[in-house]
Amino acid sequence: MNGFLYGVVLQWKLDIRSKSLLVTCYIVPLIFFLLMGGIFTSVMPEMRSTLIQSMIVMSVSMGAFIGLPPSLIETYGSDIKKIYKANGIPVCLGLVTMFISAFIHLMITCIVIMLLASILFEAALPTQLPFFFLALAIYVIVSLSIGSVLGLTVKNQAKLTMIAQLVFLPSIMLSGIMFPVGLLPDFLETIGRIFPASCGYRLMLDHGFCFENLWYLFFIFFAAVIVCGIVLKKQKDG
Amino acid sequence: MNHTIQVRGLKKSYGSNIVLGGLNLDIEKGETFALLGVNGAGKTTALECIEGLRKYDSGTITINGKMGIQLQSSSLPAHIKPIEAVRLFSKWNRAKIDFTMLNALGMKEIEKKQYIQLSTGQKRRLHLALALIGDPDIIFLDEPTAGLDALGRVSLHELIRKLKSQGKTIVLASHDMAEVENLCDRIVILNNGNIAFCGTATELTDKIGEKYFIHIKTQQGNSTFETDNIEDTLISLLHKLKQKGIHILDIKVDRGTLEQHFIEMTRRETE
Repeated sequence: MNGFLYGVVLQWKLDIRSKSLLVTCYIVPLIFFLLMGGIFTSVMPEMRSTLIQSMIVMSVSMGAFIGLPPSLIETYGSDIKKIYKANGIPVCLGLVTMFISAFIHLMITCIVIMLLASILFEAALPTQLPFFFLALAIYVIVSLSIGSVLGLTVKNQAKLTMIAQLVFLPSIMLSGIMFPVGLLPDFLETIGRIFPASCGYRLMLDHGFCFENLWYLFFIFFAAVIVCGIVLKKQKDG
Repeated sequence: MNHTIQVRGLKKSYGSNIVLGGLNLDIEKGETFALLGVNGAGKTTALECIEGLRKYDSGTITINGKMGIQLQSSSLPAHIKPIEAVRLFSKWNRAKIDFTMLNALGMKEIEKKQYIQLSTGQKRRLHLALALIGDPDIIFLDEPTAGLDALGRVSLHELIRKLKSQGKTIVLASHDMAEVENLCDRIVILNNGNIAFCGTATELTDKIGEKYFIHIKTQQGNSTFETDNIEDTLISLLHKLKQKGIHILDIKVDRGTLEQHFIEMTRRETE
């Protein structure tokens, strides 16, 4: 196994040992899903058709905005990056391995939600599974890229907690996963569109995989890649 | 001479604060070289520029050999185990794991612990083990014994001597003057980003001059006297003590430790 693959496997193990990622990627999203799934489907039975997508948006937002950034701060806001540099390890390794590891953790959570939702709450499974999984992967990647920006640019955990909530809460409240966006005042609907959750949610719905829902996600992803690249270059140059 | 490290005109400023004002250094192959200086003298900046961890404003740095770096302040992910860190760094550097070296550094006893559970000394040893991965030719040790107990210091000093006997070039930054005096062939004292002294410990003593320290222990306590004229001062002191009827319990004369010379040297440079 080469250094990179070992780094990914090791990060996967570290994430499991780190209780915080376990909580934000698995425990809280799954508890939230079980609670809200029960409430939504009994109060509004029509939500069965979108329950999987809604709960996935919530889980991915939590894992990406609240779970990933603290791990990044642990590496890039401390002397860990220095020891990587000193020992010939690329400074981007931490970001890349954490990104891949978090991606795998979130995909597992989403698959568990999808399976449990259909069994427990008779939620409708996506009819176009390949498109659904492609949309899911894109949405997870875009969300993690925003989490990466947060983890690399915010310098301390206290600030991060606050800023992460400023991204997380509008993502789940204004994206249409809790209630239709049409019920929101116009300005809140507009704010909701700034966050990728709105596009990601529509992208995962049946027949939602179209350019209209994709372009903004790609735009956010490339912007995030540029920001991460600049920050990492600064870190590399010392 | 075969320079393993050559530094010419190294300059580094942070804003208007000049940290290194044109540093020149030549470190030979197989040499154990110490970098000394009070806090803010520029030694960590100099080291980090040489190690390639910090950008510098101007100058040239030539390194002939593979570097292994133990940083003064370094950290690892909280939940990583020492053996996992060693494997990661080894795989990335395509180096074989030297279990003999790891055992010598006491890695066996901590292999199942997570980084967060290690003591300061154990962390130091782990970081040294990581620096030695890949059998480097040049080893940078920044405060290697800080936080180590007496036993840890002794075993680390033995390891440094062993590395030296293998022909490794060792660059050491330390506040422990006894350590520097015992281990190093040459010393550089940095003051305000410039070299205040470069040479052996004996040369430093000679440069400071004929300075003697007289340590006298009496029933009233311990006193130390500093003098350039040992004969006159000693006779005069003994005479005064006899006149006052003070009994001498012990008396010792020495030419000062490296620490005292270091303080004197930096004091002169500041003046």
